[in-house]
Amino acid sequence: MNNRFLINYTPGSTPLHKLNGTTKVIGFIAITVAIIATFDFRIMLAIFLLCMAGVASMKPNWKPIAFMFGFLIVTNGIIGSLMVFLLTPESGLTKTGMETIFWQSAGGKLYLSWELLWYAWAMFFKRVASLSSAILFILSITPSELAAGLNSIKMPYKICTIVSLAFRTIPDIARDFTDIKNSMMMRGVELENVSLGKKLKQYIMMLVPLLMSSFAKVENISNSMDLRSYGKCKGRTWYSEHPATKNDKIARVFIALIFAWWIFYVVFFKHIHAPAVDFWCPWVPKEISGYWF
Amino acid sequence: MERKPIIEFKDFSFKYKIQSKATLHDINLTIYEGEKVLILGPSGCGKSTLMSCINGLIPFSNEGEITGSCKVNGRETKNLSIFELSKEVGTVLQDSDAQFVGLSVGEDIAFSMENEMVPREKMIPEVEKLSGIVGMEEFISALPFDLSGGQKQKVALAGVISDKVNILMFDEPLAALDPKMGVATIELINEVSKDKTKTVIIIEHRLEDVLYRPVDRIILMGEGRIVADTTPFELLNSDLLKKSGVREPLYITAMKYAGCDISKNETICDIENLELSGEDKEKLLAFFHEETPEIKKEPGDEIVRLENVTFGYEHGKTVVNDLCVSIKKGERVAVVGKNGAGKSTMAKLITGIHRPAGGKIFINGKDYKKSTVKQIGEQVGYVMQMPNQMIVKDIIKDEVELALHLRDLSEEEVENRASEAMKACGLYSMRKWPVDSISYGQKKRVTVASIMALGPDTIILDEPTAGQDYRHYTDIIKFINRLNSEYGKTIIFITHDMHLAIENTDRAIVFADGKIIADESVYSVLSNDEIIDRANLKQTSLYRLAKKLDIPPEKFIEHFIRYERMVKAGE
Repeated sequence: MNNRFLINYTPGSTPLHKLNGTTKVIGFIAITVAIIATFDFRIMLAIFLLCMAGVASMKPNWKPIAFMFGFLIVTNGIIGSLMVFLLTPESGLTKTGMETIFWQSAGGKLYLSWELLWYAWAMFFKRVASLSSAILFILSITPSELAAGLNSIKMPYKICTIVSLAFRTIPDIARDFTDIKNSMMMRGVELENVSLGKKLKQYIMMLVPLLMSSFAKVENISNSMDLRSYGKCKGRTWYSEHPATKNDKIARVFIALIFAWWIFYVVFFKHIHAPAVDFWCPWVPKEISGYWF
Repeated sequence: MERKPIIEFKDFSFKYKIQSKATLHDINLTIYEGEKVLILGPSGCGKSTLMSCINGLIPFSNEGEITGSCKVNGRETKNLSIFELSKEVGTVLQDSDAQFVGLSVGEDIAFSMENEMVPREKMIPEVEKLSGIVGMEEFISALPFDLSGGQKQKVALAGVISDKVNILMFDEPLAALDPKMGVATIELINEVSKDKTKTVIIIEHRLEDVLYRPVDRIILMGEGRIVADTTPFELLNSDLLKKSGVREPLYITAMKYAGCDISKNETICDIENLELSGEDKEKLLAFFHEETPEIKKEPGDEIVRLENVTFGYEHGKTVVNDLCVSIKKGERVAVVGKNGAGKSTMAKLITGIHRPAGGKIFINGKDYKKSTVKQIGEQVGYVMQMPNQMIVKDIIKDEVELALHLRDLSEEEVENRASEAMKACGLYSMRKWPVDSISYGQKKRVTVASIMALGPDTIILDEPTAGQDYRHYTDIIKFINRLNSEYGKTIIFITHDMHLAIENTDRAIVFADGKIIADESVYSVLSNDEIIDRANLKQTSLYRLAKKLDIPPEKFIEHFIRYERMVKAGE
């Protein structure tokens, strides 16, 4: 079951796996806000390298990861950049402060500048960095740790248990769905070589038995939870949440540094010394871009 | 010694809010501390409702009208919260999968402690201790997906069995287990009940399996009332079981057929320690030597054939190995064996959902390699365990016609074939009814009819009787047997239920670890200790009875089945 959806159900054995849920959740939040705060390619690159080093340290199954990056390259890298080129070719100028055109269409409506390419690349790379941080997070955490971690940052525990229950039941629902699909295929429902509309209609039809069989389970699950005091107290303790270890403390110092840097960055670069454009570009002089390093 | 009453019902009645009639009527029942009580009865008799009244699910999760009184440990349950009750009453629910809410064994056992806000450092040793009690200490970090039904049940027990809990209830603990695990569960419950501070209540309809270990008292329920509150001995001697739609243990039936007087035999409730008088033995032997009509069917043409079939989901790992099977027209075959041994994989192979990695499959003499799943579906039909997993339409007729419409037949043809299928399944008069309004057994018929409409020669039924009491079981089986005898359908049962296999099939294909380890008559399978052990089956009580008589079990079981079929044919 492990790695089929990239989700780990059992804690792994590498140092990153062994951090507790709280550390992982606040770590993910820190990296996410850092990514949101800026379009600066240098920072994205640093975050990307950091996350990928973390991913590599967990010795993952690379296949699904490569697939996800491939998907991102196609949707964002290729299609997204093409859209920028077709719709707003002037972005090179507006986003970086300069424009060095090296190709122009006959009518002059479409053109390519080095800065536009840089802008598309930096935008794409921001997505790459987000994806790498998401992969790092998903790989490192188990659903139970996620629930405990969310609870530790004051998320109500009923929401947290829903998260872990969802992960508990995903494989069951997937299995039920396969069974239902198989039985429908035997009755003559064809899912290959049919039009997309028909296929969609047939899948929707299959949702009826899937929902029926899932609803039947809900009552059992809720009874079993009621009978074991679920909802009795205001709070809840977590079996899966081990106390913070030395590594957790080191990691939290590191996370605190990311937060501190983020505050500094926002205060300094957005208010005190805001650059003229959003995108740092290596060959645009700082007099134009306003980036003083 | 004065016995301390722990559960007391006085003139207790209960009506669910959404129902017009009461589910429980005039319950007067006292259960004493340390007792082991079996609550017996067909489905819908109110036994699960009774359980919910004890553990507080009523009125906590199911509202309704309560009259009379129900006290647990001297306190009225109406005035207690479900949380207070759960400290005294531990409940193991029927669906061992749904009640597993944690993502690992340890987490699930700790679930109630987490909710009680027990600090983690206290939780860890407690989980270790509890998992040890049920024998799951090796599996603390195991995932629910990797556990068998029996193991999940053990975890559920560990999750409710803390020190303070002195009442333990098991709701149909045998429902989802294979026979061998069922035995282990009854053994485990027996171990728990040895602690005389614990009161154990088992809710079941499989009397023979529960009686594998003694119980103090049996409460027989029917239609919301207590029909009998008595000892196993008294109950076996009465004719109440037959009237209530609960199956009598097979050895008792055999002894009754033989004309033995069981009312004088004190050891009758326990097949292990059953002592037979000289007279009983003589009668049983005379019974054994009676002439019975031979069950002989002329096998028809070969209809399904597997030739050295191998299959695996992942490359290099096979799930089934070298399957060689030949099934003839009109046969009834049971496919048995433990979960994950390859039973359902074989069914998926025959229906073309999976294709063999090695070997060949022939259907009606033709290699099915080039046929699509849809085409194979016209020759081999597959009926899933739960009707709700198959039904997609609101109206019975639409459901039955679904597969026909998908085949672009003329309206007239669709109409004719659907009508014929519904007539065969006894649904024709209700063809316009909404599916929601019919019972479980009728839904089962709808699913069979929707398959029958395609006119397959072979029907594969996955656990057709799971979770059904004896009366519904008999209905479903009668119906399936009619498809076999009147319509000549070949029937393949995938099942754990050895009673079903013994009484309704001619042949058993036994799976263990991806291989077929036996393919012979059901009675030979059930007389072979090695096969029984490897396939997680268990000996029937007839086997033990035959051993006590020093006669070959295989012959005795065969004789019993023939005799019973003769009796049933005469009814």
